[in-house]
Amino acid sequence: MKDLMLKVRNLKVIFPNQMGVLKAVEGIDFDIPKGKCVAIVGESGCGKSVTSLAVMKLLNSPPAMVRVDELVLDGADLKDYTDQMMQEVRGKQISMIFQDAMTALNPVMTIGKQIDEVFIRHGKMDKGEARIATIKALELVGVPEPKSRANQFPHQLSGGMRQRVLIAMAFACMPKLIIADEPTTALDVTIQAQVLDVLSDMQKKHEVSLLLITHDLSVVANMADTIYVMYSGKIVEKAKVRELFLHPHHPYTIGLLGSIPKLSDEVHKFVQIPDAVPHPMFKPTGCYFHPRCSHSTLKCSQVMPPLKTLLNGREIRCFHPQNVVDFEEVAHE
Amino acid sequence: MQKGYVFKRILYAIFIFFIVMTLNFFIPRIGVTDPAERYYPPQGNMSEIEYDIIKQVTREQYGFDVSTFQQYLNYVEKLSRFDLGTSFKSGSPKVSDLIAQRLPWTLVLSVTNLIICLSIGISLGSIAAWKRGRWQDTALLNASTISTALPGFFIALILSFYLGFELELFPAYTNPNMISQFDWSFEAIKVVIANAALPIISMSIGGIISYAQGTRNSVIAVTNEDFILTARSKGLSQRQVLYKHTLRNAMLPIVTSIGMSISGLIGGAVIIEQIFNWNGMGTLFLEANSTNDYPLMMGVMLFMSSFAIVANLVTELCYSLLDPRVTVGERR
Repeated sequence: MKDLMLKVRNLKVIFPNQMGVLKAVEGIDFDIPKGKCVAIVGESGCGKSVTSLAVMKLLNSPPAMVRVDELVLDGADLKDYTDQMMQEVRGKQISMIFQDAMTALNPVMTIGKQIDEVFIRHGKMDKGEARIATIKALELVGVPEPKSRANQFPHQLSGGMRQRVLIAMAFACMPKLIIADEPTTALDVTIQAQVLDVLSDMQKKHEVSLLLITHDLSVVANMADTIYVMYSGKIVEKAKVRELFLHPHHPYTIGLLGSIPKLSDEVHKFVQIPDAVPHPMFKPTGCYFHPRCSHSTLKCSQVMPPLKTLLNGREIRCFHPQNVVDFEEVAHE
Repeated sequence: MQKGYVFKRILYAIFIFFIVMTLNFFIPRIGVTDPAERYYPPQGNMSEIEYDIIKQVTREQYGFDVSTFQQYLNYVEKLSRFDLGTSFKSGSPKVSDLIAQRLPWTLVLSVTNLIICLSIGISLGSIAAWKRGRWQDTALLNASTISTALPGFFIALILSFYLGFELELFPAYTNPNMISQFDWSFEAIKVVIANAALPIISMSIGGIISYAQGTRNSVIAVTNEDFILTARSKGLSQRQVLYKHTLRNAMLPIVTSIGMSISGLIGGAVIIEQIFNWNGMGTLFLEANSTNDYPLMMGVMLFMSSFAIVANLVTELCYSLLDPRVTVGERR
């Protein structure tokens, strides 16, 4: 699989504590093809953010324990990389855009200096060269008057500008892979659209692979090629974006899509998924979703359904998939 | 840092100074006996008239013969010439001379103490934060519980008794001659160090632990901030993250407590000075208090509070240099 930028196999993250073991991520596999945008979607608490941090190897151990069979970035397996080796990778080959730009930027450092750091660290530049590069990077993401903005502190910028700064920082060294963890959740809807445009433009123009982590399916619809739906630490469905929106198979995905308000909702209320994601310390037996699922049977409460691959490459973890079209017969049990 | 901000802070400090000066003048005058009577108690063979004359002369001599308001005006007028007045002590020494004589001896204790507290406290705190949850951290937590329950003067008494009287390792209390006969000779300096050891140790134990605890909490709080994760995601090494991102942010609350310690440099050691018979500002203030020496009392108090005002002003200005967010409220 040469065209894969990132290949993750059997990623597990657990947090042992006095009460027992908190299983945040339970053996997930996913692939990100080169130059494509892949999204991981799920409710808060399903393990999305932990997954993104695990790929960067940024989880502190203790408390976190990470196990992975394969973590291959563009041919190099990062599985056994030490923290020192990862420092060469972070910022240069993989970088990250965080959710809340107010807290993700150092409040006592000018934004220019914070971007300079990436160039100085990885670009072998001195301070003056780094600043020139920083101003260019800010210009690319549409920050007006980048030269004077670079000397401002995070609190002097608006939310949208701060998020652009984070994007500029992530793209600084044109890494191979960018992980965007809820990049627009903290923003107003109008600003959200602008920031997504910038992010999407940058990704396409520079052919960077993007891993988008979000709970917001409307964000995914415009950006991602492939979507992984995650529930309580497991992948429950994988599909191309169009297929997922047209024919969601997993009852959880159907619930997620149903909870997006539409204009037609004036007539009928939009669907809610009852309850919340189970606490990662007290997960139900069988399928983790069965207590909230309207299609669940006795089998669902006893056995965890395996992740099955359908003929067209979709994957689903469910005994009672919905909306299955004829030609999608299950490839193998 | 904007000029307007600095200007406002300075004006504010001056305003506070006037309030302090006024309170400082009136508080000693509430409900205290006539200083003239206090200083010249009626003698047995003295007639009423004779005694009245003596009192009158004393009042005139010290400026108590006019109305309180007039006294206040006179006080302010004298202060504007940096004249703190003369003490009631025999020989009428100038208050400013007395302060100048005692101040260095207090500073010997308090400045050394502050330097020890900062250097040891901040390093211990950083270690505890680094080794969070391990024995170093637990030890600090236990130490801070114990030291909260043990006030400095208690430690001072214990040290003075065991190390001073019992083991005779250090002088248990200071001979006043040490100060009057100090001549910068090597021998004299050695004596001062030996005498200062116990007071400084008893003052610094609590300070070290509270600075360590403060630093530890502050560093840990900053370590959990999102921007530390951002810094690490840029590929910075642990060391770079620590120096460039963590410590600078963690120092902000510490700067506030340093400012508070500095404002207490002069008046903070009254009891310790008393225990070790150390003739500094603290003992001077107690002497003034117990002898109703108004001018001295007022002089010492005004000096202590002005020092605190200046220290606070400097801290605030330093803080706004370190944390660019501070001045924002002023501008918007």
